[in-house]
Amino acid sequence: MKSADQFRGRRIGIAILLMMAFSVVLCRLYQLQVLQAGELTAKADRQHRKAVVLEGPRGTIVDRQGKVLAANVDVPSVFGVPTSLEDPAGVAKDLGRVLHIKADEIERRLKQERSFVWIARKLDPEVGRSLETLSLDGIGTVMEGRRFYPKGFLLAHVLGFAGLDGQGLEGLERRYEPYLRGEKQMLVLQRDALGRTVFPKGLQEQGPSAGHNLALTIDEVVQYIAEKELDEAVRTTRAKGGIVVVMEPKTGAVLALAVSPRFDPNELKSLSADRWRNRALTDAYEPGSTMKVFVAAAALEEKVMKPTTSVYAENGEMTVAGTVIHDHERYGWLTFSQVIEKSSNIGAAKTGIALGEHRLYRYLRAFGFGERTDVDLPGEMAGLLRDPKDWGRRSVASISMGQEVGVTPMQLVTAMSAVANGGLLMKPYLVQSILDGRGRVVYDAAPQAKRRPMSQETARTLGAILEGAVARGTGAKAILPGFRVAGKTGTAQKIDPATGGYSATKFVGSFVGYVPAEDPRLAMVVAIDEPQGEAWGGAVAAPVFRRVAEQALPALGVYSQEPVKFAMAERAPVLVP
Amino acid sequence: MKVLMGLVVVSLLVYVAERVDIVRLGYQIERLKTERAVLQRERDELRVKVSKLSSPERIAHLATDRLGMMQPRKDQVVLVHVGPLSPVTSGTAGSGIQLARHVPSK
Repeated sequence: MKSADQFRGRRIGIAILLMMAFSVVLCRLYQLQVLQAGELTAKADRQHRKAVVLEGPRGTIVDRQGKVLAANVDVPSVFGVPTSLEDPAGVAKDLGRVLHIKADEIERRLKQERSFVWIARKLDPEVGRSLETLSLDGIGTVMEGRRFYPKGFLLAHVLGFAGLDGQGLEGLERRYEPYLRGEKQMLVLQRDALGRTVFPKGLQEQGPSAGHNLALTIDEVVQYIAEKELDEAVRTTRAKGGIVVVMEPKTGAVLALAVSPRFDPNELKSLSADRWRNRALTDAYEPGSTMKVFVAAAALEEKVMKPTTSVYAENGEMTVAGTVIHDHERYGWLTFSQVIEKSSNIGAAKTGIALGEHRLYRYLRAFGFGERTDVDLPGEMAGLLRDPKDWGRRSVASISMGQEVGVTPMQLVTAMSAVANGGLLMKPYLVQSILDGRGRVVYDAAPQAKRRPMSQETARTLGAILEGAVARGTGAKAILPGFRVAGKTGTAQKIDPATGGYSATKFVGSFVGYVPAEDPRLAMVVAIDEPQGEAWGGAVAAPVFRRVAEQALPALGVYSQEPVKFAMAERAPVLVP
Repeated sequence: MKVLMGLVVVSLLVYVAERVDIVRLGYQIERLKTERAVLQRERDELRVKVSKLSSPERIAHLATDRLGMMQPRKDQVVLVHVGPLSPVTSGTAGSGIQLARHVPSK
């Protein structure tokens, strides 16, 4: 029976051994599950969960026909993890070849004592794809939204641009930043052992919503026509620059806004801030004779003048407050209509004097001079129209001929639109509607009248005078066959910063008008800055008006209503739909 | 008793199968989401490309430089006012139709 005792002893021994082993396991379990539970759960969470900040894509900007002018595309950005690189020089060489960056530069970054370095941000999609084929250890890519301006130079001064982190810095991008910017959202993702994202419980996960989209009043085609013709005029007159603003007079909707010289918002690095300033609203200039339009409006409205009133133009010379005012030609007696048509400074000065400083000031203010038009772009200036108490003895005469005042091209075209619009001054605008990421309309612009600076009757009378100024006067180069054009030229001497007086060589030639006069569809201002050679507004700016209107009107579906003599009677007419 | 045990085992099996299915679908959803993101990116890229290619500046350049087109001169364009009685005007009553007269090449 010895063996039975022996077995029993062994059984007991094994049982004790097992119990001891189990108690070790239990102790360990107790330690892991109870004592260190909190700490370890947190550690696991850190490994399973990953918090990321996602940002919805920035909104798109389209023109009135829905053509894309600015859009976001997710593009790759490349980063490196220097601490996990074995051969930074080799990697840098491979990367440099694909990214077209100097290998030394990449190598320098990869040798930094950091766990994360950017190598190149917001690459072209093609470069990103060729990078994928490389698959280097310690090099990774993340997708980031990059702003594209597919039309390049077109409308750049209006669109502005967004910075590297997608924030609007200039133009509409800046003005509508709160709308365009995508929603930011913090997301906690669950990952499995392989680092793949696990779909979270509850199915409530939804990405951050995209920024709102802007639909502009700008017409891409009219904008192109304006930029093309302006650039051409600036080139041929060897001018410093120029501006064209085209507006729909009945609504105040801006159809085109061109500033020369242009810039490409996709390639900003080498440009100075001066280049992208929207000079149609930030720079005021002395308008010269175009101001006579609004002096005439005041005189007609106040019944100081009628179109037929005779005005003596003093044979080209008149002394006011000890200084002499000249006309570009010696005129004797003129009707008031002729004063505007021939752009007589003396006639305009006399009109202003007849109105008196307070009435003159009141009307010019009513037309919006000396205040912002409140167009929806950043950086607008109010121009300069001083209070009559600060005027000198010559001021009434000077202001009546467009001196001693500073106006922006935007103010000028807005005021001219009021003449075209039966005397009602509209607020200019560039954004027609704002749509949210799902296409629902958040905002829709309605034309907004600011005030009525003159009666409908006065607007009609003035319109007829301005038609004369084109048909018989200084604006002859704006004549557009088949259409009635109303408008006024202006030639202003620039102030010489060196002397403080008027420069004898630096001018701004301008034209402001509208067409067709009987039912105005577009109002336009053209200003050519410092043209070389002949600088008259009638010579440098009026032809630009004609060429832009000539092409823009058919693009807007406006055709001549003049009957055409058709000499094809003997043949069957060919109809082109 | 046996029936009860059987029920418990079956429902446990069903439960486990469901869980496995949920996890599998979760992965599938994630994969599809990635796929969607790629397609969306491609769409955005193409949209920018379309916009670039259809820019009036480029088209005008191609028309004049490559195809030898030009802006019609004033005497090459005849505007015809289409009256309401003409048989072809039902859709375009009152609108002007532009006819570019054929100009024989030099």
